[in-house]
Amino acid sequence: MNITRSAYGFPLPLPIRLLRKNAGIFLLYVALMGGAWLFCWPFLWMLSTSLETFQEAMAPGLGIWPASWHWENYVETWRSTSFPRYFLNSFVVAGTVAVAVTVSAALAGYALVFLRFPGRRLAFLVALGAMMVPFEAVFIPNFVLIARLGWYNTFAALIVPWCANGFSIFLMRQAFLMIPADYYEAARLDGCGAVRFLFRVALPLVRPTLSVTAVLAFLGSYNALLWPLIVTADGSRRVVQVGLTVFTTESGVQLHLLMCAATIVMLPSVLLFLLAQRAVSETMLVSGVKG
Amino acid sequence: MIRYLCPALLGIAMLLGSAGCGKGHGTFLPVDEHTAVFWDRQDTQSASLMRELVQAFNTQSGRMPIRWEHAGGYTEIFRKVSAGIQAGLLPAMAVSYESMTSEYIAAGAAVPLERWIHDPEIGLSEKDLSDFFPAALQSNRYPAHGNRMYSFPLAKSVLVMYCNREIMRCAGVERPPETWKAFLEACRTVRRVTGKPAFATVPDCSTFSGMVFSMGGEVYDGQRLQYDGPESLAMLELLETMVRDNLLFMASPGTFDDNIALVQGDAAFVLRSSSSRAYLLRMAGEHGTELLDIAPIPQKDPNRPATVLFGPNVTIFAVPELQQAVAWCFTRWFTEPEQAARWAVATGYIPVRRSTLAHPLVREAWAQWPPNRVPYDCMSFARPEPNVDGWQQVRALVERALAEVMSGTRTARDAAEWLQQEGTRALERAHRAGVGNGI
Repeated sequence: MNITRSAYGFPLPLPIRLLRKNAGIFLLYVALMGGAWLFCWPFLWMLSTSLETFQEAMAPGLGIWPASWHWENYVETWRSTSFPRYFLNSFVVAGTVAVAVTVSAALAGYALVFLRFPGRRLAFLVALGAMMVPFEAVFIPNFVLIARLGWYNTFAALIVPWCANGFSIFLMRQAFLMIPADYYEAARLDGCGAVRFLFRVALPLVRPTLSVTAVLAFLGSYNALLWPLIVTADGSRRVVQVGLTVFTTESGVQLHLLMCAATIVMLPSVLLFLLAQRAVSETMLVSGVKG
Repeated sequence: MIRYLCPALLGIAMLLGSAGCGKGHGTFLPVDEHTAVFWDRQDTQSASLMRELVQAFNTQSGRMPIRWEHAGGYTEIFRKVSAGIQAGLLPAMAVSYESMTSEYIAAGAAVPLERWIHDPEIGLSEKDLSDFFPAALQSNRYPAHGNRMYSFPLAKSVLVMYCNREIMRCAGVERPPETWKAFLEACRTVRRVTGKPAFATVPDCSTFSGMVFSMGGEVYDGQRLQYDGPESLAMLELLETMVRDNLLFMASPGTFDDNIALVQGDAAFVLRSSSSRAYLLRMAGEHGTELLDIAPIPQKDPNRPATVLFGPNVTIFAVPELQQAVAWCFTRWFTEPEQAARWAVATGYIPVRRSTLAHPLVREAWAQWPPNRVPYDCMSFARPEPNVDGWQQVRALVERALAEVMSGTRTARDAAEWLQQEGTRALERAHRAGVGNGI
């Protein structure tokens, strides 16, 4: 097809010529914009609902433009519960969990790939098995343990049980598998110890996966609700997700305030994802490829 | 060698772990030694009032203070208490429904309250006891456990019918229907005139119990379930008819879409707890009192009315005696007219003592909006649901059967038979488990 002339041989105007030339890309962008709009809609709806009155928020419909803007909802939400304290607790807990998970997963993943020891396969299977046990099945034994250790209503109860997890170990193992075994053997021949190889060679090579492990651990801990609710007693140890529960009443939900709270609570997650976006994308792309 | 040693060590660790998760019977450790902790579920507004009341109690009691804690919804509280029972660590008291308390009794965690109720120093006199609505106390007696009181009512609610006056006016329905026959007719009229489904509801066990009671029936006679009885069948058939004639809007279980439909003018009638009043009025905005009306639920015979009584109680746990005593003192104090009236007016719950009805705050609320009085009038004929072991499982079955009838996937007769059969099995299983636990 001639993209510069019409079927009758007349020259086409520039916009149409450009459109014809880039028709494929144009259609792709339209489809992507449609997809992006679809994914953004719930987010916009949340923002919009957070600025509506209670009556407007409860009205059926998915409109994303409030009739009037009620910024005071945010003040009311902020005052409804101890959000500043909850945020501080969330950052302390999720930050510590992220560091601990990253360290434990890196060490475990490294050992499973590069070190030779009896029961290596079994250890990996146990780690995989831990991924498959649902939280509901373990929360009572975990709670019993926490209570018997005297950790009820302490930061230890919120942090320690989540310092290692099977998925992160699996992720790090897969990342270490992509490092050629020759590197390790060559380093060993040159007199490099296992620990030195880990810190000097292996970890710098799997930095994107390390970031993703940290981000996922942070988000997993930051978004947890049931466990923090169960092991804490008061606002001094509670986290932001628990703060959201106060907007659900026995007769219904205070939707406008709940959406305000959800917006506030979601911001750190969004910021973190924006900062770590590149590492996340890279890991997603390469984690399925075995080296 | 190592190949066998690792699994063996893992097995031993799991065995030891499971041994540590045995059921706890006897005294439990309190979650806080210095305060009597109360796990509750109030939301933002009612929580503020509850904190104020707790503060007032602590100021005047001079004993160990009560510490009120928001512990999530009922499901979370049940999970938290269940985990606490396994760990041997419990609060002094927690808000609970009868079905939850039954489970706590089976685990040896709930204490019978007769000892505190009849305590010469901090108990209730005969005059005090006769001041309570009998049904409110009765619902806290557990026939499977010696008919003893293992929980105590703080405040109650009843199933009532909320009406949208505007739709009724449009359809020419002059007053809330008093009988189920009139209700069906009113729904047909609303549908014909407005094109709207008239009745919005969620598949809910308590609502269905209230409907069966209002037909003069029972859901459990103390020996066997009655879902295959004529009253239960009549109510299922009514729902089936309403589905067939497009008169019913089924909201998803666990949502409040029926309330929304009522306030938005998409339904004329909703059956809900009287404690929904404050929320519905708030949702309806400044003209809420003009838009909404409250009436007793329709009856088979309005001269012999019945509805279901619900609303949470408190369970006092087997923690050290001082904590139990403080928890009981708070419970008793909370039901006294001064506190109960404040709580009732603010939340829509009904006080459990008759003398509270004469309190100026309550009278003022009635004068402000006469439908406020309706739930109080219903208290005299409200009946609790059964509190037998296994009722929690029966509730889930009822809700499933209702959802199937309301979605037209099962006939009323079929649902009644299925419910009777499966419900009986569930109760038998619970009974066997109870016997197994030495109850």
